[in-house]
Amino acid sequence: MTKQANFWQYNKVVLVFALIALTMPFWFPLMGGYSGLDTKIMIFCIFVVGFDILLGFTGYLSFGHAAFFGIAAYTTGIMLKSFSDNILPAMFVAVLLATLVSVMVGLLTLKRTGIYFSILTLAFAEMFHSMAMAMLQTWTGGENGLTGMPTPMLFDIKMQGASVFYFVTIVAIILFYVAKRIERSPVGLLMKAIKSNQTRLEYTGINARKYKLLAFVISAFYAAVAGALMVVYEPFVGHEFLGWHQSGEVVIMSVIGGVGTLIGPMLGAGFMLYFENVLSVDLGEQWLLVLGAIFMAVVIFMPGGFMEGIARLKKRYFTTVDGE
Amino acid sequence: MTDVKSEDTKKKTGWSRRDVLKATSAGAAAGATPMFFTQNAWAEEAIGNYPVKGSEVVLGFNVPQTGAYADEGADELRAYKLAVKHLNNGGGMLDTLKPSKLTGNGILGKKVTYVTGDTQTNADASRTSARRMIERDKVIMVTGGSSSGIAIAQQYLCNELGIIFMCGLTHSNDTTGKDKQRYGFRHFFNAHMTGKALSPVLSKEYGKDRRAFHLTADYSWGHTQQESMQEFTEKEGWSTAGNIMTPLKTTDFSSYLSQVLNSDADVLILNHYGANMVNSLTNAVNFGMRDMQKNGKNLEIVVPLYSRLMAKGAGSANIDGVLGTSGWNWALQDEGSQVFVKSFTDEYGFPPSQAAHTCYVQTLLYANACEMAGTFYPPEVIKALEDFKFTGAGNGETLYRGSDHQCIKDILVMQGKSPSARTSEFDYLKIVDQVDAATVDYDPAIFGGELGPYIPA
Repeated sequence: MTKQANFWQYNKVVLVFALIALTMPFWFPLMGGYSGLDTKIMIFCIFVVGFDILLGFTGYLSFGHAAFFGIAAYTTGIMLKSFSDNILPAMFVAVLLATLVSVMVGLLTLKRTGIYFSILTLAFAEMFHSMAMAMLQTWTGGENGLTGMPTPMLFDIKMQGASVFYFVTIVAIILFYVAKRIERSPVGLLMKAIKSNQTRLEYTGINARKYKLLAFVISAFYAAVAGALMVVYEPFVGHEFLGWHQSGEVVIMSVIGGVGTLIGPMLGAGFMLYFENVLSVDLGEQWLLVLGAIFMAVVIFMPGGFMEGIARLKKRYFTTVDGE
Repeated sequence: MTDVKSEDTKKKTGWSRRDVLKATSAGAAAGATPMFFTQNAWAEEAIGNYPVKGSEVVLGFNVPQTGAYADEGADELRAYKLAVKHLNNGGGMLDTLKPSKLTGNGILGKKVTYVTGDTQTNADASRTSARRMIERDKVIMVTGGSSSGIAIAQQYLCNELGIIFMCGLTHSNDTTGKDKQRYGFRHFFNAHMTGKALSPVLSKEYGKDRRAFHLTADYSWGHTQQESMQEFTEKEGWSTAGNIMTPLKTTDFSSYLSQVLNSDADVLILNHYGANMVNSLTNAVNFGMRDMQKNGKNLEIVVPLYSRLMAKGAGSANIDGVLGTSGWNWALQDEGSQVFVKSFTDEYGFPPSQAAHTCYVQTLLYANACEMAGTFYPPEVIKALEDFKFTGAGNGETLYRGSDHQCIKDILVMQGKSPSARTSEFDYLKIVDQVDAATVDYDPAIFGGELGPYIPA
C-alpha cells in the first residue's frame, strides 16, 4: 500500500505530463491549435527530452542531432515504401540503424569537449545531409524529399489523425518516464558529474567516456524515435530533417525551456512550434524577428529558461518550502 | 483528429467567448466519437473541407515569407490578394478569361476570404503550415510554393487530405511528372518545355555546331533541367562537352568555371536558379568569359530559366544578350496580360513578376472550375479543370491537360537587355520569341507517375 503510494508520489511529474498530453486534443484547439500540430509537438517533446539527457546532464552541446532524427526518418520512409506499410518493423530498423550510427559518431566526437565537440557533431550532420542531397538522392529523393509512401499502418489501424496522436503520445509518456528514471539512477548521477567536473570524476577511477557515450547514444535513440514517428505522422521525409537548422531548433527549444530539467525543453518545444505555426500568422513576415527577440530576452533575463521563470514565480508566491 | 470535425468553419485569428463555447462543445462531441466512425464518415460524402459551410469560402495561400525566396513569395502574395479582390468585386482577368463563369461575386455566391502561411522554403515547414490552414482554418484549396521540392511536398499532403493544391512557381518536370497527383495542378511551365522552346532559338542564334558545357544545381530541378537541355540541344546538332553537378549551397563557382575553360566547349549552360544563377553568372563574367573566343567563335552563356528577380540580382551589364526562358512577362501585349499588369500596377505601384502571374491565374482558374462544376465537391472541380481550354490569361490559348495536370501554353524566350536599352527599373529582359503551345507540347507518358483516384484513400 505504501509502496504504491510512493509510486504515485515518485512519478507525479510523469503523471501530470501524461494527463496534459492525453487531453491535448480537447484544450489545444481552444488556444488556436489544431490536430496535427499537437502530434508534432509530442514528437518534438521526445526529441528534446532525449537531447536534454546529453546537454542537460553531461553538458555536451551537440549541433548534429538532426543526423539521427533524419537517418531514422529516411530509413522509416524507405522501409514503409519498399518493405511493408506496418510501422513496427520500419521503426525498429530505423531506430536501430540510427542508434548504431550514433555509436560510431559518438566514439569519434566525444574525444573532444566544448566547442570542438559541437563543431564535430555539426560536421557529421552536414555530411549526412550532403549525402542525402547528392550521393544518395536516388533513395532519398534529394531536394524533393522522400515521397510516395503508403499510409502507415499499425497492424489494422490507419496511422492518421487521432490514432497517430495517441500512438505518439503514449510513446512520449513512456520515454519521458524512462528519462526520469535515468535522471534518478546512479548512471544519471554520473552523467551529471561529468557536467560539473569531468577531471575530478576521472580521478575517482570512473571511466567518464563510457558514460558520455551512453548519454550520447541514449539521446540519439530518442532523436531516432522522434524521426521515425515523424514519418508515421506524415508519410514524407524532407532533406531539412537532416539539416543544421533542425539541430539548431532543438538547441533553441532546450535553452528557451530550461536545460537539464527534462520538462523545460518540452515546454520549449511546445512554445516554439506553437509560435512558429499559430502566432506567426498574426505577426506576419516579422515573426522570426519577434522569436529572436523572445529568445534573447529569455537568455539574458532568465538563463534557466521557462523553468527558471516558473521557479521564481513559485518562490515569490509560495514561499512555504515544500519540495516539488 | 478530434477537432477536424469541429463545426466552426470561419477563418479566425481571435477567439470570442461564443467561439470558445462552440469549440468546446464541438470538441467534446468529436472527442466522444470513435475514430473509426469519423474516418468512415470522411470517406462518404465529405472530402477534405467540403461541404463549405457559411457564407464565406476560405482559400489558403502558402508562400515563402522568410528565407531565400521571400521576394518571390511576397510577390505571389500580392497576386493572391489581387485575385481575391477581383473574385469578390470583379475586374482584372475576369473580363478577359474565356470561357469563364466568374461573376465577380465571390465563388458560387460565397464571399472569398483567405489565410496565409509561411513555407520558409522548407518542405517540412510548408506542410505544417498547409496542415494548419486545412485543419484549423478549413480552407477549400491551398496554393503557393516557390520551389519544386516545396510544391511536391504540399501536393502530396493535399492529395492525401482531399484538398486541391494549385502549384505556384515550380519548374521541375517531377511536379506533373513522376510526382503528379490527382489533387495537384500546375499552370507554370517545366524544364522539358524550356528545353524544347529554347534549343531552336539557340541554334538559330549561335549555329548548329556548338559544344555545350553544363553546370547544374545538384537537385531534382537541376537534373531535369540539364537532361532536357542536353536532349534538345543535341537534337539541334550540338554536342555536349561535359556536365558538373554543383552543390546547391555553392557560392563560388570559380573552380567549376576553370574546368569549363579547360574544355573545348564554346557554350556554357547554367542550369541554376535564384542565388545560384546570380553567383555563377557573376563569376563567369568576372572570368572574362563573355569576351572570350573558343573554337573560333564567341563563348556564349545560356540561362535556361530566367526571372526578373534573377536578372536584377545578376545586374543588367552581366545579363546583356544572355538567352533564357520565362513563363510570362509583364511586357506582353495581349489583352489578358495587359489588364493584369494594369490592375497590379495600380494596386502596388510596380509590374508583377512571372511568379505573381502564375499564382493569380491559378486562383482564378480554380474559382472558375468551381463555378463550372456548380459545386466545391473536389472530384467535380478536378473534372472541370481537366482538359479545360481557355484564353485571355496571357500565354495565348492554353490547355489544362487532363492526363498530367500540366498547362500547355506559350513559352517566352527572353534575352537580357543592355543597360542602355532599359526603359524602367523593372525592364531587364526583352522577349525574343513567343514559342507557341503546339511546339512545346509533349507526351505526358515519358515521365511516368500516376494521378491516382478522384476520391482520396
